[in-house]
Amino acid sequence: MLDVELKKAPQVDEEEELKPLVLEIIPGHAAEGLVEIYQPGSYEGESLRRLVDKALTKKNLSIEEQLILEDISRQLEGGKLLCRGQEIGGTALEFAVSEQTEAGEKYFYVPVRAIRPQEGGHVRPEPWK
Amino acid sequence: MRRLLDSDLELLVESGFIYLPLLLDPDIEQETRKLFRSKRSREGSGRPGSEAIIRHKDGLFIKTLSIRSLLQHHKTLDPYAYNRLKNASLQKYQLTSGVDDIFLDETLELILFQIMPYFIKGRRGLQRKKLSEEEILDLISERIDIPEKYYSEALRFIDLKPLTDIQGDLEDQKPIHKSPANGLWPARKLRDWFHGAIQAKILADERDRVKKTLQVRQQLAHTKPEHVAIFFYIADKGSIEIEGFGFSRMKSHKEYLIYKRTGEYVLKDYYGRSYLFPDCRVAVSTYYTPLKPLVIEKYKHPFLRGYQAGQEICMGGFEAPTELTAEAVIQVLEEGITALLHSYDARRRIGYHSLDKTFVHIPTIVFEDYRV
Repeated sequence: MLDVELKKAPQVDEEEELKPLVLEIIPGHAAEGLVEIYQPGSYEGESLRRLVDKALTKKNLSIEEQLILEDISRQLEGGKLLCRGQEIGGTALEFAVSEQTEAGEKYFYVPVRAIRPQEGGHVRPEPWK
Repeated sequence: MRRLLDSDLELLVESGFIYLPLLLDPDIEQETRKLFRSKRSREGSGRPGSEAIIRHKDGLFIKTLSIRSLLQHHKTLDPYAYNRLKNASLQKYQLTSGVDDIFLDETLELILFQIMPYFIKGRRGLQRKKLSEEEILDLISERIDIPEKYYSEALRFIDLKPLTDIQGDLEDQKPIHKSPANGLWPARKLRDWFHGAIQAKILADERDRVKKTLQVRQQLAHTKPEHVAIFFYIADKGSIEIEGFGFSRMKSHKEYLIYKRTGEYVLKDYYGRSYLFPDCRVAVSTYYTPLKPLVIEKYKHPFLRGYQAGQEICMGGFEAPTELTAEAVIQVLEEGITALLHSYDARRRIGYHSLDKTFVHIPTIVFEDYRV
């Protein structure tokens, strides 16, 4: 019988690491949005939507953050929250990617876009009418 | 005239006229002797510069052209050479149209300082703060590789001394270029003087432009050369792109096509099958109002009528802004991108075409090649 030594894949280690979660809610197709950081232990059991709601009701925002929040609210008038092209659902970790700061600190990053609907396209005329 | 000034001859300058060496044959010699005899009899009556033939050292010279008149009418006499000198002279002091204009281009300012920051990431990590104009230009110079030549041009541009000197001379009404001294001049040396004088005259004629340029450059005196270089780059190339956001100047002066790339995206048809759409640039033109989104590339999509370049995106419930503002451009670009990426409804099959084939005998665009 072969003596097999089981080794963990490096990405598994990384996934199990305790890292903060950086949630960014971006208005429309902007490059930057409102950033909220959740420390390890504070986000794991929460749904992504709940974390987004928490971030959007945050107080003590700077003027720049308030302007971004206004943009997000405008987009959300009848709009939806999308993460990587899908409507958000499930936990934040399902959408997270691992990133690191310039100083080498690792974190999970989840970008959520607030997209106002655009009723693109006219209804096609039905040829038999 | 041009050939004479390019020759190896020695020309005589006397009282504002160019005298050419007189060719001598027996007939001419006889005529000149007669002329000098009659001149001696009328000694003292002639004005300086009025003689048709003068003796200098051992040679005889014949009066030809007035230097002043030559300078004044050079533009008509030799338009090609004049324009070449004019361009060289304006380029030397960077007075060519377009160079200063780029710093007075309000649409460009609007794009760089109000629209672009919305679509590109700052460099402050997770901090959110509005970027100043200087920070935006810093960002651009970090992300765009501006060739060295634009930097050198920028350094020359912000050096105000040469233009200030010209302006000072123009205001003091000093002669821009001293008249050539009387005496013998090698033709080529006289040609160099002549070119210098023409260029000085061109600058004097451009007095208003020198004044305006100086005003612009004085405002930029404390601007970093690398920032000025960005404007030189844009003036020359007409476009830049950072993180999928960009703009390109249209043929019409000071009008731009501002765009944002969509990146690749997937749409689903009625049966849930996926179609991978290639990247395209959703743009808005500053030239046409109301502002409407269009796709620059040859592209097909259920919301585009055909399969060609420059098609307007079919929008629903969209009131196209009529005024060019940063908010309006951002809104139009966003709505255009959202229409392409998120608005196709496979059930309602809105738009010009549907992803899955419908059994209708109308020629339409097919998307089978995008199926994944």
